[in-house]
Amino acid sequence: MTPLGLQEPAFGRAGFAAIAALLIVWEILGRLQLTIFIPSASAVAAAWWGLFSDGTLLRSAGSSLISLLKGFTPAAVLGIALGLAMGRFRTLREVLDGWINALMSAPLSALVPVLIALFGVRDTVVAATVFLFSFFVIVVNTMTGVRGTERSLVEMARSYGAGEAALFARIYFPAALPAILLGLRLGAVQAVKGMVVGEMLISLVGMGERLIYYGNTFLIPQLYAVIVSVLLVALLCATLVQACERALVRWK
Amino acid sequence: MTQAVGIAIEGVSKRFGAVQALVDIDIRVKAGEFLALIGPSGCGKTTLLKCVAGLLPVDAGRIVIGKRTVTGPGGRETSLVFQDFALLPWATARENAEFGLLLRGAPAAERSEAARRALAKVGLAGSFEEAYPAQLSGGMQQRVGLARALAANPQVLLMDEPFASIDEQTRRLLQDDLLRMWSEERKTVVLVTHSMEEAIYLSDRVVVLSPRPGKVHRVFDVALPRPRETLDVRASGEFARLVDDLWQILKKMQ
Repeated sequence: MTPLGLQEPAFGRAGFAAIAALLIVWEILGRLQLTIFIPSASAVAAAWWGLFSDGTLLRSAGSSLISLLKGFTPAAVLGIALGLAMGRFRTLREVLDGWINALMSAPLSALVPVLIALFGVRDTVVAATVFLFSFFVIVVNTMTGVRGTERSLVEMARSYGAGEAALFARIYFPAALPAILLGLRLGAVQAVKGMVVGEMLISLVGMGERLIYYGNTFLIPQLYAVIVSVLLVALLCATLVQACERALVRWK
Repeated sequence: MTQAVGIAIEGVSKRFGAVQALVDIDIRVKAGEFLALIGPSGCGKTTLLKCVAGLLPVDAGRIVIGKRTVTGPGGRETSLVFQDFALLPWATARENAEFGLLLRGAPAAERSEAARRALAKVGLAGSFEEAYPAQLSGGMQQRVGLARALAANPQVLLMDEPFASIDEQTRRLLQDDLLRMWSEERKTVVLVTHSMEEAIYLSDRVVVLSPRPGKVHRVFDVALPRPRETLDVRASGEFARLVDDLWQILKKMQ
């Protein structure tokens, strides 16, 4: 299996031009007042500013980010650990590979009601959903990275007396690091999805709750303002992981 | 400098599942000798080298390096040099050269001193020390591979087709450098190669292995004068004659 790829965001002048064009078209469409479901870009910006300055956005985003961290941190730690072990030990891989692949492609939102039954209607459900959404892609990428380790590097290290611990620390882990970081980046994007899905389904906390609320009450500019904020959070997460990638994998 | 040691390969057999790779191999490498292993692909020459390095267990027979019988990898007598260089892509030339010593738990000061000396010996002193493998040419990468092997100060160098993936010009330079280093340090060298010219040019003796199963087919003395790197041996009629003799042996085996 090859690592799941994500396009490097190449954000140049053309990217900004495309966004500017979209905003202009959006503004014109909104001003035409075709339907209340297409508010103008400026109305959305005004709504965003309103939600930002009265603290609503920060409060809900704060709650969302805490759930995100509570779910993503264990997903990253356990996902990397399991991925390393599965990459190295064939039996473990044969036992778990089917499950991991099935769960990775399954519509995990269907599991959220199970989580609600398990944890009750609480923000823990959001963290658990974040975990579920991001865990498997981290496992699979880490495992793929370990399995892609050059055989001769392993032989070389063994020829100088490396035992299992030294092989992990000095060969398998650094060799898998680019794939692990790619997994974390994909996992971070999945985590934001899980966060919104979980929050929308329990309708209690975070930006997902705001989405449901403004949707149900037809506060359309506010709805768009939260959607834009969610996109910004996703972009921020991906950028953070990418910055780590650049700092850690300088040799490529 | 360390005292060179010999290698005794006694009745070694090795099988992979249903495939008999090596049968009853007997080779004695003298201390300080430069020995080449050659043979058609599938003759098990790389397998034999890995057995000597302890990376593969033998099914029968034994391999003794100096006084120690090989039971597993990690023996301090030997250093391996790999066909694909086996450099850590995330480490600089200096870190790569230090890596063998690092795994053996040598203190940092000793490591960097040994690595620096080894890199200088292979012609990579100065600014190259902080270059990553991807920034180096194939020939320079193998120089780093050689430096790593030398930094560990082994008595035996085991080389697995070290110059096979390097262009002809660079290969000749590396062969000359290897001969120069060998005449200075007199380590025992076992070189696996598929190049007849390389086997004749570098070694004292050539062991020809026959394929499926791998057996010792012929042992071939190379009575060319040394130091070959300065005597222009490649241009001599004797060199051409020996290469042709070896070719006649290999041709009959196909």
